[in-house]
Amino acid sequence: MIQLRNIQKSFGNQPVLKGIDLTVKKGEVVSILGPSGSGKTTLLRCINFLERPTEGEVMIDDITVSSQKGSKKEILTLRKKTAMVFQQYNLFRHKTVIENVMEGLIVVQKNSKETARKLAMEVLEKVGLTEKANAYPVQLSGGQQQRVGIARALALNPEVILLDEPTSALDPELVGEVLEVIKRIAEEGITMIIVTHEVSFAKDVSDYIVFMDQGEIVEEGTPTVIFNNPKEERTKRFFKRINREAGILESNLSSVI
Amino acid sequence: MDITLIFDFFPKLISYLHITLLILVAAVAIGLVIGVVIALIRIYKVPVLNRLAFIYISFMRGTPILIQLFLIYFGLPALLTLVHIDASRANPLLFVAITYGLSCGASFAEIIRGAINGVEKGQAEAAYSIGMNEKQMMVRVILPQALVIAFPNFANSVIGSLKDTSLAFTIGVMDMVGRGNTLIATSLHALEIYLTLSMIYYGVVICLEKGFSLSEKKLQRFEGSLSAEK
Repeated sequence: MIQLRNIQKSFGNQPVLKGIDLTVKKGEVVSILGPSGSGKTTLLRCINFLERPTEGEVMIDDITVSSQKGSKKEILTLRKKTAMVFQQYNLFRHKTVIENVMEGLIVVQKNSKETARKLAMEVLEKVGLTEKANAYPVQLSGGQQQRVGIARALALNPEVILLDEPTSALDPELVGEVLEVIKRIAEEGITMIIVTHEVSFAKDVSDYIVFMDQGEIVEEGTPTVIFNNPKEERTKRFFKRINREAGILESNLSSVI
Repeated sequence: MDITLIFDFFPKLISYLHITLLILVAAVAIGLVIGVVIALIRIYKVPVLNRLAFIYISFMRGTPILIQLFLIYFGLPALLTLVHIDASRANPLLFVAITYGLSCGASFAEIIRGAINGVEKGQAEAAYSIGMNEKQMMVRVILPQALVIAFPNFANSVIGSLKDTSLAFTIGVMDMVGRGNTLIATSLHALEIYLTLSMIYYGVVICLEKGFSLSEKKLQRFEGSLSAEK
């Protein structure tokens, strides 16, 4: 189980997160929606302390790390329970696809090379990239790179995978293949927290939706409630605007849903 | 002038090439160690050491290598006598290696620092996100990429150092130039000897450049299709 308690974050005098509380149960897929600048990505980065929160604490399983007192060692332990998929993929450029996936298995989890290779191949199979195992990231399309990013996270078998706008940097025609992979692993019961702009995808894949605006959670609940029956004015306005822009989105997603 | 004399001098001079290369290899080896250490000190802004590193780099950049050579040659033994070590009869090659090592170290440090800063920030974040500690991140993710970025500048710097070694004779090292000087004293054919020397240096530099450009291609194989797209 993952619990965020009163997470606050300021950059200088600028408050970005104003006290976020969130609980994610094991196996749950939670999507965080909201307009740009609402603090979604910062919140996600606070969970694995890529950004150290100004206030509050993060609890994953049996470990709790507090914003100020959290030691390097505690943060490391926390990070070993999480994995992240980045908007810009951030694959290790100097390593092949399979080496990218093996890296954490060997260096962090201390598996032998053979075990790591075997596990990596299994995960690459899941994202459909076994034939690219020995390619370098630059030789892949954006969609393929992001699938490697997902494989790298998945291979570590973390308590939770944090996905930071995994399709935002992709060409429209490549979005589908990545969403399909995420959907498939969601069905395997892996806990995920997804920051996304793909509203219909979030609706389809999530157990729980969090709507954020201006650094706070405006509304949260199951997709049915949030999408069919939003209570807050800000949520309604957001969906109205999204629906207007959704024409292109729908055509992309038809293959997935 | 007698051009044919070049054929005479060439084998005599090139038989001292290994001294030149020895100085170069020693300088680059010492320089690499110093360079990486200083670059890390500056990147992590280690208190006090960062300040010293800055002064060291600034001094090495701001003074001619010939003066540095004399400073080490006369200064180091003087310093060592303070702790009762007699270095007055040490091989001058040693002083040359130290001077050129220090000089290489300063330029390598700046090259490596620039290259480390040139690695995308996302690479470090990815390393942290899979649970690496700072050292693993640096050694396994950042440095390998930084060295590739640094390589072209590094190659230039090495070629510069090779040419700088031609000053080593001033403190009595018998390298190609040192041998050339003794030949000039006995034969009085200065121009032919300097022509021969220039040919040898030029030849070595061309070989180095070829070698560097081949290894650069090999090193940057993972960037390959990227530069091809551009």
